[in-house]
Amino acid sequence: MQNMTNDNIMLKMQNIHKSFGSLEVLKGIDLSVAKGDVLAIIGPSGSGKSTMLRCINRLEEIDSGSIEIKGRMLVRETADGEAEYVDEAESRDVLSCTGMVFQQFNLFPHMTVLQNLLEAPVQVKKRSAAEVRPEAEELLRKVGLFDKRDCYPGRLSGGQQQRVAIARALAMNPDIMLFDEPTSALDPELTGEVLKTMRELAAEHMTMVVVTHEMAFAREAASHVMFMADGVIVEQGSPGEFFASPKQERTIAFLQNML
Amino acid sequence: MDNLLHTIMLMLEGTQITLEIFCITLVLSLPIGLLAALGRISDVKPLSLLMEFYVWVMRGTPLMLQLLFVYFALPMVGIMLSDLAAALLAFTLNYAAYFAEIFRAGIQSIGRGQYEAAKTLGMTYPQTMRRIIIPQMLRHVLPPISNETINLVKDTSLIYILAMNDLLRVARTIVQREFDMTPFVVAGVFYLIMTFVLTWAFKRLEAHYAKYDQ
Repeated sequence: MQNMTNDNIMLKMQNIHKSFGSLEVLKGIDLSVAKGDVLAIIGPSGSGKSTMLRCINRLEEIDSGSIEIKGRMLVRETADGEAEYVDEAESRDVLSCTGMVFQQFNLFPHMTVLQNLLEAPVQVKKRSAAEVRPEAEELLRKVGLFDKRDCYPGRLSGGQQQRVAIARALAMNPDIMLFDEPTSALDPELTGEVLKTMRELAAEHMTMVVVTHEMAFAREAASHVMFMADGVIVEQGSPGEFFASPKQERTIAFLQNML
Repeated sequence: MDNLLHTIMLMLEGTQITLEIFCITLVLSLPIGLLAALGRISDVKPLSLLMEFYVWVMRGTPLMLQLLFVYFALPMVGIMLSDLAAALLAFTLNYAAYFAEIFRAGIQSIGRGQYEAAKTLGMTYPQTMRRIIIPQMLRHVLPPISNETINLVKDTSLIYILAMNDLLRVARTIVQREFDMTPFVVAGVFYLIMTFVLTWAFKRLEAHYAKYDQ
């Protein structure tokens, strides 16, 4: 997050506020992510980290603040402090460079693995299935599931489903990948394969924002770590300094609990 | 024996009317029901309220009343329909309302995650409904749709009040003329055969959709 030139900034969030009813879950979040950054966001449940992630691609709408993605405005703050979103078509266009992986995978159960990957490139980008198919198969090889291409998701293990979900997001050639607790719904023995896929993605310099409880992933694969609690960013830094010498009391207590 | 054969031939003609009403009503009311369901869950408030009202009226009054209304009241305002068209109009409007409620429940049973996944892949709302939600919903609603469809076979007998010679009315005419109950038994068997075929067809459909569900 240091030395960022403007064209290097993939994501910029300023002064984000968000409430659900009377409960304020985000209390002024500022965040910048540069190209190739792997930002791991950690924190106790209810800290607002998933909500923050979901605000990036408009699964949740913010109350005030501004969000820019690759230099394009998604939502700006008006003079009286209200959030003002761009129109639906522009929003879709701005967000077309983002991909998301969910805790519950959310694969399309009525389509085979390969059809899951083809769906968006064919329907959204209007490309021909014949043209997309080799790319999709290559992605499936990459996540090690080429031989499962004709299976329905219901036949796969959770870890396999999540790797398909990653491949499905990648099939749209995103520049930023958002991960919402991608291993939290998995049996412990299945988290490894998903984390391995994510590590490989990080090694290819994909820009990633990852909400996670996996401290090992944050420590080893992330370029930046951010600790959130009660809707604010408590502390952030490189994984080295963050884990070796956390400064805030809340961070220290949290890390002690996790290890 | 000859007599029985003659009876069966007459009743087959009645069955034709029954099947005609059944098939056309089904083909029309399923898509209309789906559109009504989409209208009902739409964000456009007037449309949603209108569909709610439509469903309320059609489910809240007897089908018999609706048939009589279409048959006797519409001509008074200058709309002339043939017996068959009047029957089809009433049946279609009525069944579309029931199907709309089934489809609506089916759509609402699909989790938020499917919409979110589609959205993050850049799909529009119509694309999401057409490609992701409706195909999954159809699988969920097969059992209640099957139920309603079997009801429709039996409800077609209500058209006897419009003096149309459907299966049941033919049977009754013969019974009254010859004081022989056999036609009622034959009619029962005919209805059972029709509902058996339907039950079998829906089982096949369910098996087809179950392939991605294990």
